[in-house]
This record gives sequence, structure tokens and C-alpha cells, in this order.
Amino acid sequence: MTRLADFARVVRSKNAGPTLVTIDVLFADAAQLERALPAFEPAAIAALYGLAAGEVRIIAYRPALAIKVVMPRRLVAGEPGDRDVYGAQQHAPLLGLQV
Amino acid sequence: MKDALRVLAASGQLGYGMPAAALAAGIAREPHFIGADMGSIDPGPAYLGSGRMATSPEMTRRDLGQLLRAARKLGVPLLIGSAGTAGARPHLDATLELVRAIAREEGLRFRLASIAADIPKAMLRGAGLRPLGAMRALTDEDLERTTHLVGQMGTEAFIRALDAGAEVVIAGRACDTAIYAAVPLRLGYAPGPAMHMAKVIECASICCEPGGRDAMLATLEGDGFVLESMHPGRAATPLSVAAHALYEQDDPFTVEEPEGTLDLRAVEYQAIDARRTRVRGAQWRPRARPTVKVEGAGPLGERGVLLCSSADPKVIAGLGEILPAVQATIGELLGAPDYSLHTRVYGEREVFLLVECIAPSAARCKSVLGVFKQYLLHHGFPGRLSTGGNIAFPLTPPELDAGTAYRFTVYHVMEAAQLAPLFPVSIEDVK
Repeated sequence: MTRLADFARVVRSKNAGPTLVTIDVLFADAAQLERALPAFEPAAIAALYGLAAGEVRIIAYRPALAIKVVMPRRLVAGEPGDRDVYGAQQHAPLLGLQV
Repeated sequence: MKDALRVLAASGQLGYGMPAAALAAGIAREPHFIGADMGSIDPGPAYLGSGRMATSPEMTRRDLGQLLRAARKLGVPLLIGSAGTAGARPHLDATLELVRAIAREEGLRFRLASIAADIPKAMLRGAGLRPLGAMRALTDEDLERTTHLVGQMGTEAFIRALDAGAEVVIAGRACDTAIYAAVPLRLGYAPGPAMHMAKVIECASICCEPGGRDAMLATLEGDGFVLESMHPGRAATPLSVAAHALYEQDDPFTVEEPEGTLDLRAVEYQAIDARRTRVRGAQWRPRARPTVKVEGAGPLGERGVLLCSSADPKVIAGLGEILPAVQATIGELLGAPDYSLHTRVYGEREVFLLVECIAPSAARCKSVLGVFKQYLLHHGFPGRLSTGGNIAFPLTPPELDAGTAYRFTVYHVMEAAQLAPLFPVSIEDVK
């Protein structure tokens, strides 16, 4: 088992509109993507973010050797108390995922 | 077979300066038109709500001037979308003023089209409105509070402006794709590749390895298009271009546009050499009834912030109890609960506290944050060592007026029987 941070080529997050955040995990080759994919269980990812399993979508996008995670933002971007208006630092909880 | 069409994407966000060498290299390739995106919903509700630009007038004017001079020298159209950050009336007017001032000073002459994107509030009260993502349902109060309401225009509006003979198009809130797909669609290029090309180059060289803000050239030819960064150190590779389909999208296979859906399931990426990639295979499915993404924002109150920190292990460990206790204490002193406090704690060994207050006035924010600061500084708790003060202030005064706070009130999709009446084109001859 390896931490995702030591295994993936890129782990990036960004808003997809002000109500969703999307995390793209890019791998070096197809074998690595397939090896990591089973760890991307919606329930496990949801637990890292304090969400329900049904709120998280996992999409394998093989042309880019990528796995995409889509989830709702806790607060709409820019609401009082929001910590990340652009959603660019929401990948951190995923870095410790064991793959 | 149509002739090759060269498209120069000058900037993914105009007004932050454009790398000069790449822009010059792009212009030297004699593009058939130049496009630039000037806005986004990403920077949050403050710009749409207030009517102000995110970029400084000085930098914005510089960027606009460079593109106006280049387009007029080449004699090709210049298309700019989402004027002034958020693309509402005040943003559009401020951008048009800059364009006219540059033209006056430099003796440039051109036919200027401006396209407004403001949506009347009454239009949202009808049926066919759907919240996007986790957006709450729209209430009358939200709509009442909304200061600016815009719709994202599609290619249709840009095509109308070009049909009217526009040489420079300054559009209010627009889909990024519309800036780059309008000219090819008007000339009869296949919509699938044209829309896909537009989707990839709207962020300039971000689709490259390594990504950057430099100008990007796309050439529509045959049944696809070729991508090339105008910075020699940035490569458009099959992998980097494919990865861009993921960027800021919740679905890498389909992209919803006002006039239809872009289907990317059958797309193929093929390297031409180390720096260029050919893309083909995107399909376009027109929609029977157009849809428009609508964005609105309005004021929530005035905002003040308190900046402080703590290096005391006992204070840090106890913050979970200390912060609510201080809030309860000051609640009795401050009277009417007409304010809200939002505390963010950053760090572990030494923590930074950003305390945000939203209240009806700046004066009220100052009262709330001042009292909060004083009671947090001297809050007593079991085992306390730091009786000289629980927190440190990096600045004086430590509480700052952050201006009016805005929130998104509308982020919905609206059905529209016709697009043209929503996005009126105005023409003027600048000389």
C-alpha cells in the first residue's frame, strides 16, 4: 500500500461552478490508474470529507489517465465562513488515501 | 474541404498582464481572429454583486490596448467575453469606456459591438428554472437582494454581432466557448470540432505541459484541430490536452452549452510532434430548446475581519471551548444578535485565527470584533498559563473593515424560447 501523494502524478482540486468541487488525480500510466481505482470507493472518499456516499461521484477518464472525484461544496463559494473560494486546496484530505 | 482557420487565444483572464513573447509569436502567425476571456464566476460573488472588476484599471487597459492594436493591425476580429470579470452592465460599461479611451488616444477606428447579458428579474419568476449543483432553491428574498443578474450567452449572440459588421466584440457574461466557436460556426466549420477547440483553448496554454498563461494557437482543419502553445517551452501533448477536459468540469465526457451538448466520448488525441497535438472526434448535439445559465449576487451585510494568532499550546488545545465561550460572553454585552461571527483556525503548533463578522454596518462590525478581541485576549480557562494575553496581533488595529459582503443568490439554469432577445447587440463606429 502507498499513499496517493506518493503514487499519483498530479492531485488537483478546483470548483466546477460555485456549488461543486472536483478533484482530478492524474497517473503516470494506465496500469497505475487501474491499480489505484479500487481505492476510490465513494463511501471511503465521502468519509474523508464528512459527506454521505451518495454525494460523491467517481469517474475514471482513461484518455487522460485520470480519476475524477466530484462532490458538493459544504458552502456555496464565497459564503461567510467559506475557507476556499476557488476550491483549489480541497485535494489535501485525499493525499493520504491508501492505494 | 474548408481552408485552415487559425485561432489565437490571447488570455484566459484578461487584465493580469499577458506574456509578451508568446503574444507576439501568436500575432506573427496571422490568426484569422483573436479571442480573450475576461471573466469567470470563480473569484466569488463580490464582483458580480458590487459591479466592480477584479483586475486593476491600469493592467486591464494595458492588456486591452495590446489586443486592440494587434487586431487592428492584422485587420481581424477581436472577441472578448465576460467583460470586466462578471459581465453585468457596470462591468461591460467600464470595459467599453477603456476600449473607447484607448481608441481615442491611439487613433484606432473600428466597428464596436457590445452585447449585454443582464437578465430581468421578472424572467426568473416564470417556470423552467433549475438550481445547479448544491445551490439552494431561489426565494423571493434572494431575488430582492440581487444587485446584478446575468445569463451566460452562447455563440448565437457573438454571431449576431459579427453579422452586424463588428470588428471588435465586447460581450457581457459569456460562455468561454462562445468567444472562440462563434467565428468558425459562422463560417460553416463543423460544430463538434469547433466547440471542442473553443473549450480547450479558452484558458490559453493551461492545456499544456507545463501549463501557463501564454497565448495559444489552434488551427481548425479537416475533421479536427491542431493545438500549439506560442511559448516554446510549453507542449500540447495528447495527455495534457486530454487532462484539460477534466479541468473545472464535473463531467469530462459531455459539456452543456446554451445551444446544445458537446459529446467528447469519441475524441482522439494524436501527437504531431513534441509540442503539437491533433484532436478529432467531438460530436455536437443541438438542443431543441436553448438553456441559459443564470448567475446572480447581492449584498449580505458589511464585513469586518480580525487577524490574530496564538503560540500557546494550552490556548491552542482549548480553542474548541474557548471560542464558543467568548462568543457567549460577548453576546450579553453586544445586545441585539444582528451579526454573525465565523472563525477559521489555521495551523497546529502556532495557529492563525481569521475571525469574520457580518453585520448591518461597518461600525457594528468594529464593535463586535473589538469586543470579541478583548474578551478572547483575556479569557480565563482551567490550567491557563498565558495570563498576559491568549493571542498575538500582527497588525494594529487588528480588526479591519473588509467592505460589503456579497453572496451568490442565483446559480440556476433557465429555459429560453429564444436567445436573441436576452442578449441585445449595440453597434457603434469608433473613430
